[in-house]
Amino acid sequence: MKKISEGAESIVYEGTVAGIRCVIKSRIQKLYRIDELDQRIRSTRTKNEARIISSASKAGVNTPRVLLIDGFDLYTERIGGTTLNKMGRIGTNERQKIMQGAGKNLALLHSSDIAHGDYTPANIMVDSGTVYVIDFGLAEQTKSVEEKAIDLLLMKRSVEKSDYKTFESAYVHASSKSNAIVSRLHEVEMRGRYQTRTLAV
Amino acid sequence: MAIIGIECSAHTFGVGVVKNGKILSNERRMYKISDKGMIPSKLADFHSEGAGTTIAAAIKNAGISTEEIEAVGYTKGPGLGASLRIGYLSAYTLSRKLGVPLIPVNHGIAHIEIAKRLNAMKNPVALYVSGGNSQILRMVEEPDRHYNIYGETYDIGVGNMLDSFARGAGLNPAWGSSVAKAAAGGRYIQLPYTVKGMDFTFTGLMTNALAKLKSEQLNDVCYSLQETAFSMLCEATERALLLTGSRELVLCGGVAQSARLKEMADAMAKPHNVKVGTLSDEYNADNGAMIGIVAERIFLSKSKIETGHEIDQRYRLDSVKVTWR
Repeated sequence: MKKISEGAESIVYEGTVAGIRCVIKSRIQKLYRIDELDQRIRSTRTKNEARIISSASKAGVNTPRVLLIDGFDLYTERIGGTTLNKMGRIGTNERQKIMQGAGKNLALLHSSDIAHGDYTPANIMVDSGTVYVIDFGLAEQTKSVEEKAIDLLLMKRSVEKSDYKTFESAYVHASSKSNAIVSRLHEVEMRGRYQTRTLAV
Repeated sequence: MAIIGIECSAHTFGVGVVKNGKILSNERRMYKISDKGMIPSKLADFHSEGAGTTIAAAIKNAGISTEEIEAVGYTKGPGLGASLRIGYLSAYTLSRKLGVPLIPVNHGIAHIEIAKRLNAMKNPVALYVSGGNSQILRMVEEPDRHYNIYGETYDIGVGNMLDSFARGAGLNPAWGSSVAKAAAGGRYIQLPYTVKGMDFTFTGLMTNALAKLKSEQLNDVCYSLQETAFSMLCEATERALLLTGSRELVLCGGVAQSARLKEMADAMAKPHNVKVGTLSDEYNADNGAMIGIVAERIFLSKSKIETGHEIDQRYRLDSVKVTWR
C-alpha cells in the first residue's frame, strides 16, 4: 500500500486487494477525543460515505464504486486520471467539456438529494474524457436547498468566472429544480461573511 | 509614555495600562451573573457606578501619572449596547480631560492580539471562544491585512451554549465552569455532533442535551456535552491548521480558561508539530490590558484613526483593516 494523501481526518492509500486496484480511505484515530466519541464519529462517517457513494452511482453520477468497508477503512475502486486542480494548462475546449461534466454530475447528485459538501476542482477527476466525482467525506443526504447552494458556491469560488458560467449552465440544463438553488446561491453570497470577505482558496 | 485601554462589552468593566507592549496594570469589575442573565439597564448602572474607581485604580497601580498617558483605547464592539455605551463614554470623557486621542478597538482582535503577543508568536491560527463568539481566524495580507475567518459558529457562541444549558439544568450558571464541575466522573452518552468543514453549530446540541436530562444522569449529560462541543472546536481548528500550514495556535477568549479545552487542543496539535499558546485566566477573560495593547499598536502605526460610529454592536472582526504589525 502506498500513501497518496493525508488530510485532517484520514489517510488515503492506493493498493491492490484480491487483484483489484483500489483506493483505501482510512479514518485515523484522534487522541483529543474520548474513545467512545472518536469511534462513533469514524464509523458513522465511513458508513455514511459508502452509502452516499452507492446512491450517487445509482443516480447515474460517475464515481468510483465501493468495494468494501472494514471498520474505519473504506475501499473504493481506483480509477486513473488526474484531478482538475492538478491538470495544469489545458485547452479551452477540453476545459469547457470538463466543466459541463462537473455541472451535469452535480445536477444528478442534487436530484437524488445528495449535497457533496466539498465540490471543488480537487474532487473532480478526469480520466480519458470522462468526468468523475470523488471524495464524499463531507457529503450528506439532504433536501436542503442551502446545502446544495453551498456546493455551487464552493465551485464558484474555486474556478475562473467563464468556467463557472459553463459549469452553472450545464448544471441548470441537467436539473429540474435548479431555480431555487441558484437563487439561494445569490442569497448566500449577499450574507455578511461572504459579502465583506471571501476566503481565497 | 503609556496607553490606557478600557474594555466594556458585556459583564466586565476592565481597565489596563500598557507601555511598550508591557502590561503595567489590569483592573476589572465584574457584573454578578444570576439566573436572569444580564439585564441591560442594571448592567449599564453597574458599569457607570464603577467606571471612575476602576480607571483610577488602574492608573494608580501602574505607577504612572496621568500626564504620561498618550492615548485612550476603548472597545468599539462587538458587544452589548448597554455596556459598549458606558465604556465609550468613560473613554471619551477621559480622553477629553487629558487632551489625548481616542482609539476604537475591535474586541475580538484584542483577544487574539494579547494571546499572540504574550506567547511571542508571529502569525498563529487563533481559536477564539467566548460567550458570544466562537471563531477560527488568522491574519492574511490579501487584499489588505486583516483577520480572515476560516470557520465560525452558525448560531450561538460555545460559552452561551454552556451557560444556557446550565440554567436549563438548574445549575448555578458561572460562565461555563458549572458544566465543567458537574461533568466530573461522567460517562459518555450520544449527542449530536455537527461540524461542516471549519464551521460548527451549537443550538441542536444544547436542545438535545437538555432533553436528555429527563432520562440520563446530570453528570453524564454535562460530561458528554462538554466533550462533544470541544471535540467539534478541535476538529474544525485542525482543518484550519492543515489548510494554512501554520505551526502556531493560540487559544483565547473566556472559554479558553477551560483546562479540558487546553488539554484537547494540545493533543490535537502535537501530531502536527504545532505549538499551542495559552494565557492565564486574567487575560483570557475580558480585560482592559488587551484593549491597551491593540490601541498602542494602532497609535504607534500612526495610521488615520477612523471616527464616527463610536460603538458598533455587530462590529465584524474581519471588517477591520489591520494597520499594525
